[in-house]
Amino acid sequence: MPRWLNDPMNKWPDGPINMMPSIRIALMSIKLVMRTKVALFFTFLFPIIFLFVYSGIFARGNPQAVVYMFGPVVTLNIMGSGFFGLGLQSVMQRERGSLRRYRLAPLGPGSMVFSSLLANYLLELPTIAMLVFCAMVFFHMPLRIDLLTLLILVTVGTFAFAGFGLTIASVANTMQEAQVYNNVVWLTLLFLSGVTVPLPMLPPWIQRFAAFLPATYLVSSFQAIMVGGQSLCDHQAEMLVLLVSGTFGLLFAWKLFRWEKEEKISTRAKLVSITFMLPFLVMGIWMNEYGNLAATWKQTYSLISRQPFAAGQHALSISSILLNDFESPEESEILLKTWQVSTDVNAAGRSLGELEVISPGAAGTGHALRFKGRVESAPGSDRGYVAVRYPFTLPAGSPSWRGIQFEVRGDSRLFQVKITPPDLTLPAPTLTFIPDSEWQGVRLPAAWLATPNPFPHKNTLVLEFRADGPPGTFRLDIDEIRFY
Amino acid sequence: MSNDPNSAVVRVEGLRKRYGDLEALRGITFEIQAGEVFGLLGPNGAGKTTTIEILEGLRQPDGGTVMVCGMDPGREQTALKEQIGAQLQATVLPDKIRVEEALALFASFYHTSASIEMLLERFGLTEKRRAFFEKLSGGQKQRLALALAMVNNPELVLLDEPTVGLDAQLRRDIYALIERFREERRTTLLTTHYIEEAERLCDRVAILDHGQVIALGTPRELVLHSGQGTRLEVSLAKPVSPDRLKQLDAVSDCREVNGRYFLHAQPAAVAVAALVRFLEAEGNALLDLHIAPPTLEDVFVEMTGRRMED
Repeated sequence: MPRWLNDPMNKWPDGPINMMPSIRIALMSIKLVMRTKVALFFTFLFPIIFLFVYSGIFARGNPQAVVYMFGPVVTLNIMGSGFFGLGLQSVMQRERGSLRRYRLAPLGPGSMVFSSLLANYLLELPTIAMLVFCAMVFFHMPLRIDLLTLLILVTVGTFAFAGFGLTIASVANTMQEAQVYNNVVWLTLLFLSGVTVPLPMLPPWIQRFAAFLPATYLVSSFQAIMVGGQSLCDHQAEMLVLLVSGTFGLLFAWKLFRWEKEEKISTRAKLVSITFMLPFLVMGIWMNEYGNLAATWKQTYSLISRQPFAAGQHALSISSILLNDFESPEESEILLKTWQVSTDVNAAGRSLGELEVISPGAAGTGHALRFKGRVESAPGSDRGYVAVRYPFTLPAGSPSWRGIQFEVRGDSRLFQVKITPPDLTLPAPTLTFIPDSEWQGVRLPAAWLATPNPFPHKNTLVLEFRADGPPGTFRLDIDEIRFY
Repeated sequence: MSNDPNSAVVRVEGLRKRYGDLEALRGITFEIQAGEVFGLLGPNGAGKTTTIEILEGLRQPDGGTVMVCGMDPGREQTALKEQIGAQLQATVLPDKIRVEEALALFASFYHTSASIEMLLERFGLTEKRRAFFEKLSGGQKQRLALALAMVNNPELVLLDEPTVGLDAQLRRDIYALIERFREERRTTLLTTHYIEEAERLCDRVAILDHGQVIALGTPRELVLHSGQGTRLEVSLAKPVSPDRLKQLDAVSDCREVNGRYFLHAQPAAVAVAALVRFLEAEGNALLDLHIAPPTLEDVFVEMTGRRMED
C-alpha cells in the first residue's frame, strides 16, 4: 500500500457519532465546569467583566453606545469559548491522557467532537443571557434585537468559532503549539475585526483585511442589526460563510481527532487543514470587490459615535441614517464626484465657489466640508449666487423620515438650504439661515418624506446649499448630514 | 483447559509492530482459551503494552493476524469494544468526576451494562462513591479503573500492569479481585513484570523479551523445563568461572549475574556439598547461600541472561 494512503488525512476515522453518549459526555462536561472555580470564572464571570469594561469605559455608560458595544462583547465571549474553552481544553485533555479512557469505550472521534461542541454551546447560552441581563439592568441597554435573531447569531457564531478552536486543537501537537496558534489567530481577530477597536477607526487597508476575518462578520452583523435596525436577512451571506467555515472546521476536527498525545500530526495534514479558511478568503475577496463593508461599518458607527459627546446639542435619533459625515479617507476625491458647485456664470455673473475637506469636524469628529467663495454681482445687478448640490438616494426600505438635519457654522450671512424632491410637483422645502461661528444643528423638514415614495423610479433627491445676496466672501462648514 | 483453537477467545499469530527504527513486536504468537487467565510477563519495553493495545484496537499492527472474540480489532473496533473490558496502565479521569458518576457515565456507553451498585460493592468503592477522582488514593484509583473495565460485563478482560506502583497490601487486594474473574470463568489477559503476580494469578504465561515470546506455558511447566531443580543463589569471596561451577556434582546449570551465581541443582544437598568442597580446594569462601525452588524469574534469567528488572 502506498505510504500516503496511511496518512490520517486520507481516511475518515472509524466509529459512528452516537448521539446519546455524546449528550451524556456533554452534560458531564458542564457539570465538571460547574465544579471547577477557574472554569466557572472564565465561563461566566469573565464575560461579565468584559461587558462592564466595554460598557463602562468605552461606551461611558451611554445606553446607545452600549448597544453598539454589545456585539463585540458577545463576539469576544464566543471567540474565547471557541479558542480557549473548547480548543485548548481538547489539547489539555489529550495531553493529560483523559481521552484514552473514552477510547476504550465504543465511541468514535465524531462522538467526542460532537460532545465538546454541544457542551460549549450549552454553556454559551446562559452566558449570553447573563450578558443581556446585565447590559439591560446595569446600563439600560435597549434590546434592539429579537430573541430569535439573537439566538441565531449566537448559535452561528458559536458554531463557527468552535470549528476554529477545534481545528487549531487538531493540528497542534502540543499544548505550547496550540497556545502559539491560538494567540496568533486570537490577537488578529481581537484587534483587527472590530472586537476591540471599531472598524471605521482603522486605516482603510486594515478594513480591507478585516473583510477576511470571521469575527468581523459576527461583530458587524450584531451592530448592523442592533444599531442600524437591519434584519438578519440582510446578513445571510455573512451567516452562510460562518456556517460553512464552522462545518469545515468541525470536519477537520473530526478527521484529525487524536486520542493520545503520542499521536503526532503530519505537516501535510496541517497544511491541508488551512483550507478551512477558504470560505473567508472567498468572502473577503468578494466583499472587497463588490461589497460596501466600509460604508456600512461607518454608517453604523456614525449612529452612535457622537452620542456620548454631543452634550448641549439636539439629541440625534438612534434610528437616524447618515448621509454624509466626510470621514472617508478618500473624501476629497468623492467630493469632486458627488458635490457639484454651480454659480451665476450662466447669468453673466462672476461669483466663484469651491469645496474642501477641513479638519476637525463638528463635535470633535475628524472632518467636515467647507464651502467657500465669493459672491459677485453681474453687471447691472446687485446680486449673485454660488450653490453646491449633493444628489443622493433614499435608503431602501426607509422608515418614515421627517426631514434632514446637519451641523453648520460659518460667516454671519444668509444661506439657503433646500431639498429638491423626486417629483417636481411636490413642495421643495427651503430654509434660510444665518450660521454662527460655532457648530449648530439645523433641521430641514420635508413632510413628503413621511409618506411612501410614490415614484419608486425617481428616488434621487438633491440637497442644495446656496450663498446669495450682496457681493462678498462667504464660508460655510457643513457636517453630519442625516435623515431624521 | 481446552486447547481447541475454536474455543480461543484471543488468537495472535506472527504479530509485528514497529515504531520508527524500534521493532517492538517481532512476530509473536499465542492463544488464550475461554475462561483462562493468561499473563504476558516481561521487563519494561518487552512489548507487553503494545500487544495489549493492539488487542484492544488502540494500535494497528504492522504484520500478523489478531482475532479477539472472533473479531479483527483493527476493523471491528466498535463491536469489539462492546465485548471487552480494558484497564489502562494509568487511568486518568477528570479531577472533579465522582466515582459513581464515572461508572454510570461509562456504563451508559454500552448496550449491556453491569449494576453500578454491584460494581461499587465488589471493588470496595461504596464508601467512596461520592468522592472526586482527584481525592482517591492510588489503590482506589486502580480499583475504579478495574471497575470501569467491568461496566459492560465483558467476555474478555484486558488488564495492563494492574498493580504497578501499588504497595504489597494493595497488590494483594487487586489479586483477590482478579482471582474472582477466574472463578467467574471470565477470560483475562494481564500484563505484568511481577513474577509473583504471574505465578499466583495466571493459568498460562507467555514470557516476552525484546518483542518476542521466549517461553509459553503454565508457570509450573515453565519452571520444570527451566533449571529442572532447586535454585542455589551464591555469593563468593573471589570470582570463579561459571563453567567450573557447572562441572560440580548434581549441578545442571550455572549463570553469573552481577557477581552472584545462580546454580540449578538436583538434588540440592549433593550440589551444596560439592560446592563447599570446591571452594575449600580453591581457597575461596562462601559469603552467602540461598536455596529456593526455581521461579519464572529463573526461567527468564536462564533464557535471557538478565534479571526481569534489569
